[in-house]
Amino acid sequence: MRDIVRLDMATGQVTREPLPEKWARYGGRALTSAIVFSEVPADTDPLGPGNKLVFAPGLLAGTPAPNGGRLSVGAKSPLTGGIKESNSGGQAANALAKLGIAALIVEGKPADPGARWALVLEADGSIRLERADEWAGLENYALADAVKATRPADDRYATITNGPAGEMLMKSAGIAVSDPHGYPNRFAGRGGLGAVMGSKGLKAIIVSDKGLKMVESADKQAMMAAVRTFANALTTHAVSGTALPTYGTNVLANIINEAGGYPTRNFSEGRFEGVEGISGETMREITVQRGGNVKHGCHTGCVIQCSRYYMDKDGHYKTKGPEYESVWSLGADCGIGDMDAVAELDRKCGEVGIDTIEAGVMLGVYMDSGEIAFGDARAALDALDQIGRGTELGRILGDGAEATGIAFGVKNIPVVKHQGLPAYDPRPIQGIGVTYATSTMGADHTAGYTITSNVLAVGGTVDPFGTEGQAALSQGLQIATAMLDTLGFCIFVAFPVLDIPEAFGAIPEMVAAHTGQASDVDALMDLGKETLTYERLFNERAGFTPADDRLPKFFYEEPLSPHGAVFSVSDADLDSVHAFVPETAQRLGIA
Amino acid sequence: MRVEVVLFAHLSSFQPDGLGGRHSRTFDLEDGTTIAGVIASLGLPDQPRVIFVNGRHAPESQVLHEGDRLAIFPPVAGG
Ligand code: SF4
Repeated sequence: MRDIVRLDMATGQVTREPLPEKWARYGGRALTSAIVFSEVPADTDPLGPGNKLVFAPGLLAGTPAPNGGRLSVGAKSPLTGGIKESNSGGQAANALAKLGIAALIVEGKPADPGARWALVLEADGSIRLERADEWAGLENYALADAVKATRPADDRYATITNGPAGEMLMKSAGIAVSDPHGYPNRFAGRGGLGAVMGSKGLKAIIVSDKGLKMVESADKQAMMAAVRTFANALTTHAVSGTALPTYGTNVLANIINEAGGYPTRNFSEGRFEGVEGISGETMREITVQRGGNVKHGCHTGCVIQCSRYYMDKDGHYKTKGPEYESVWSLGADCGIGDMDAVAELDRKCGEVGIDTIEAGVMLGVYMDSGEIAFGDARAALDALDQIGRGTELGRILGDGAEATGIAFGVKNIPVVKHQGLPAYDPRPIQGIGVTYATSTMGADHTAGYTITSNVLAVGGTVDPFGTEGQAALSQGLQIATAMLDTLGFCIFVAFPVLDIPEAFGAIPEMVAAHTGQASDVDALMDLGKETLTYERLFNERAGFTPADDRLPKFFYEEPLSPHGAVFSVSDADLDSVHAFVPETAQRLGIA
Repeated sequence: MRVEVVLFAHLSSFQPDGLGGRHSRTFDLEDGTTIAGVIASLGLPDQPRVIFVNGRHAPESQVLHEGDRLAIFPPVAGG
């Protein structure tokens, strides 16, 4: 039995109700998006009492499904103005699932905006809301320590915490989730959900799963058989079995740079001359030299293990091994080619509680304005510090790339639906431009990761410079990704799944064995389509039109070195990506 | 003809000078040499790989030209 737990911040009341039958197939992103679609008026103020912040573990969280413990966090986004599902690793999803919670919904607004609250979910099933005013203004690592001081020494718990940027309602604020070591270093970063949490006065959620068993599956034997097949594929595929665990996600730096799609200095060039200093290979060498851990999972049950810890020069933990996106945004996009400087910026983002992608894109735009110079890591750190302190400047920068670009008169602001573009330039890699333009999330690479076929030769090949096949590629991946986010899988399982048929087949087998309901690939793809349909309809009701499904003009007009490419996928192709929505809406009865 | 060759991730240890690292090396090759020819001479493991010439994907049968930059990666991904 899975339940919905509601916390009403207006009254402090916590209630528990069974998950409605109509959502029995849902978890993760399908559930957060269905709930936001059904319960949040599309025209509501994202920081007002009408918005709801929804935490949902994937359908298979808490089971032995490998890499299946991801967390979806949903709400109306204060950054994009549309629906948001921000996905995070960390320990919270498995813990919530073991407590029988399908979704935790935080709603309403507290009467006293100065008050801070902590929600504590104990392993015995009791839930209480505690006053936590003394935690106001704490950065995430200090907050993690403060939480620790309140817990029994032998406890096992996960934290979901909000840094000062979220408390100050900044639009680039993300929500931190603790990793297996207890560091608050995994993030539901995108879309400003930290500001939503801040608007609710919620500083921390603590979830204890001490002594709790894993979630039971309907057919344990069939589950274990499918789990073995899946785990085997994940650990033997060249990408998920070798490259990711060895180098982490930042192994991409060199290949995207080589392809000429590594956005440099606010998307003005496609190659960064300083890439060697911040590549995955260099990062590994530095980390090994300093005695850092170079291979672990962001949550228990991950078998790919792309996570690592970055150490300072004295061999102390600095931050999690920054992901490819973070290294790019805080590095190449700012013209910074020094790994220690990037790690310092990454840690600052983690402390203040802001999305590293939005922060780096913002810094690139800010540098482009001439206020500070490209490559000036010290000035970049000061800028992030001002966000944390909430200075006048910091409040502008903390609202992200677009707010900063407007305030400082920058012409090229790389955003779609007000959200900063990630680490692949859409001019020499046209497929990812389709995803950026059309995703319900705003510019988001994970939403339909066409880099696979466009650059990496995983799951077939589609010429990155051509326009043909890009819309279909992006559409297929957007549907599949929404499905993986619903089941709770890390999207890196897609690399083996796209190449190894048995790995793909193991997913419906796991779903069927766990739920006791038949499943197949078509049923899974329906989950993805339904998820996107809720999101798309919410965005339409929030006022988005096809004009919002476009890239900023400069990507169409200004050729990017070294290839001289411009983005040229037609509007008709972009508009074809969501062709399945009306039919799916009919089937769901929400047209 | 002279061609720049650069090998990434664990392939870098296959550079003929044995020094590893990701900086490119200049190879002096006979005219008409193909990418496959370079791969054979380097003794790269027989595994899938992703190949770029001057930043564009290239098949192993492609003939190299003076001044080309050949970059070879093992299968990698992230995001
Ligand atoms: S592969 Fe990486 S991101 Fe995915 S679950 Fe494992 S550690 Fe987390």
